[in-house]
Amino acid sequence: MAAYQEVCVCGFEEFNQAVEQHEGKRIFALFVGSKDTEGNSWCPLCTKAEPVIREGLKSASQECVFIYCQVGDKPYWRDPNNDFRKKLNVTSVPTLLKYGTPKKLVDAECRQANLVEMLFCED
Amino acid sequence: MSVLQAMALPAMPQRQPQPTKEFLNTPEKQGTPRAPWMAVRAPPPPAGTRWGLGGTCVNVGCIPKKLMHQAALLGGAIRDAGRYGWEVAQPARHDWSKMAEAIQNHVRSLNWGHRVQLQERKVKYLNVKARFIDKHTVLGVSKDKKETLLSADHIVIATGGRPRYPTLIQGASEYGITSDDIFWLKESPGKTLVVGASYVALECAGFLTGLGLDTTIMIRSIPLRGFDQQMASLVTDHMASHGTRILRGCTPSRVARLPDGRLQVTWEDRTCGKEDSGVFNTVLWAIGRVPETRGLNLEGAGVETNPESQKILVDARDTTSVPHIYAIGDVAEGRPELTPTAIMAGKLLAQRLFGGSSDLMDYSNVPTTVFTPLEYGCVGLSEEEAVARHGQEQIEVYHAYYKPLEFTVAEQDASQCYIKMVCLRQPPQPVLGLHFLGPNAGEVTQGFALGIKCGASYEQVIRTVGIHPTCAEEMVKLRISKRSGLDPTVTGC
Repeated sequence: MAAYQEVCVCGFEEFNQAVEQHEGKRIFALFVGSKDTEGNSWCPLCTKAEPVIREGLKSASQECVFIYCQVGDKPYWRDPNNDFRKKLNVTSVPTLLKYGTPKKLVDAECRQANLVEMLFCED
Repeated sequence: MSVLQAMALPAMPQRQPQPTKEFLNTPEKQGTPRAPWMAVRAPPPPAGTRWGLGGTCVNVGCIPKKLMHQAALLGGAIRDAGRYGWEVAQPARHDWSKMAEAIQNHVRSLNWGHRVQLQERKVKYLNVKARFIDKHTVLGVSKDKKETLLSADHIVIATGGRPRYPTLIQGASEYGITSDDIFWLKESPGKTLVVGASYVALECAGFLTGLGLDTTIMIRSIPLRGFDQQMASLVTDHMASHGTRILRGCTPSRVARLPDGRLQVTWEDRTCGKEDSGVFNTVLWAIGRVPETRGLNLEGAGVETNPESQKILVDARDTTSVPHIYAIGDVAEGRPELTPTAIMAGKLLAQRLFGGSSDLMDYSNVPTTVFTPLEYGCVGLSEEEAVARHGQEQIEVYHAYYKPLEFTVAEQDASQCYIKMVCLRQPPQPVLGLHFLGPNAGEVTQGFALGIKCGASYEQVIRTVGIHPTCAEEMVKLRISKRSGLDPTVTGC
């Protein structure tokens, strides 16, 4: 089990800043629908996936940075031209990815513990 | 599924009370497996290129090849665009590094996709280099030298093949690369000499030319051995008239590195017996492939190979000389070296072993396409094969030269756009072989392959209405036979 540093961001600008700040490190990112004032996300799949992903994170084999990114509200997400879709090729939430690699899990895959663990652990 | 613990030799793994139907498959397999298997890291080639899951096709074959072929075709489209009214700055420059990165990223996403699929199907993936200890036991060694002993009821070998390096040419492996490397180069290969006459050689030389690189291909005797030779000539004629320098009847003797890093290649021109030389940035060997069996210790398992080809001998059920060991794909003797046949054979094997099926793989009438700048699609027999089997008098060959509509406005040369259909002469004239040379040959040939599988006859072909305007419709409009001696050139609408 390795130490991970969690960074919470909201929106595309903050996400990019966080990536820049941690350049050179292993970065994992989870993109979820933003939470309201009561802490509930508009994306039910994201809510279900989060505990699985946090559990999987504990088994990350090396030190890493975990960026927890709330993408925005539902209308923003639905916009086909939003920055996440156009510039990062993240087209659904939840998406869990290893930054700088083609390794990613989307939607229901994020709830499968064996897949999540594989993404965090394997090189 | 129990997790196998890595064990130090010479301890044997504990045998479980019930024999497990663990289906071990040494090295990388191309298709979607249906049972647990073991994957092996490919041993590094001299240039050191390494890759992930998916086999030759995904990493160093079909996929990157077709994408680079597409990149080259787009170059041609950009050139023609002006004729159709587009204001495009000419000449358009090509950035190899940008293309390579995009293609390599796509391949890596496919590697990952395979990894996810294996995990989802509960297939145990062991990233180890495998070899047989005996016919029931396999030793796997990981990157950090950890050893695992495995035993299984069934073992499938699908290690594929690797490009061959010439052994007698000085400097060949030190300075030359192969198809294992060309798709993973980060920088442009520059002025390139491709040595070989296989479809790999022609396809690589083809796209390199299309991307604007100074490209020469050196062919010892005939191009595309095993393919219809009339079609092979047309393929190379097209390449020669579109910028690829073709050296026929030449064999390289030496590769040396110059002080500035470029390569000097010396060769013998057998047509005149003279020696010649040239300077290139890259030398690409495409002279054939050898099965990847060297490190497996097949002898230790009693698995027999063909001493000439070194491929594993198998029967129609893909069984080797050892009843519970199987071999599929390029590593097996007598199989076409194609992705779809290997995948289908693997699926049928799994169904026979675990699904109660008795279906065998049918290797007849397998369609294929050579993705040279002008593509060549074919299914069934070549004209030579048909004549050899049935005799010239029993064969009728219908043929036509045609001009794709898209070639007209751009004033492209269609001299080699040609189709021929080899049939039995006896009515209803069943189709024995189909050969199409033109754009999108793969897309055109696929549908006709179904027709051949259903036993299509020439009489049915000519009663099929064409789709207009396409190149494919010329297939159903074939009327001129070679025997008639009439001019086979189609006049368009």
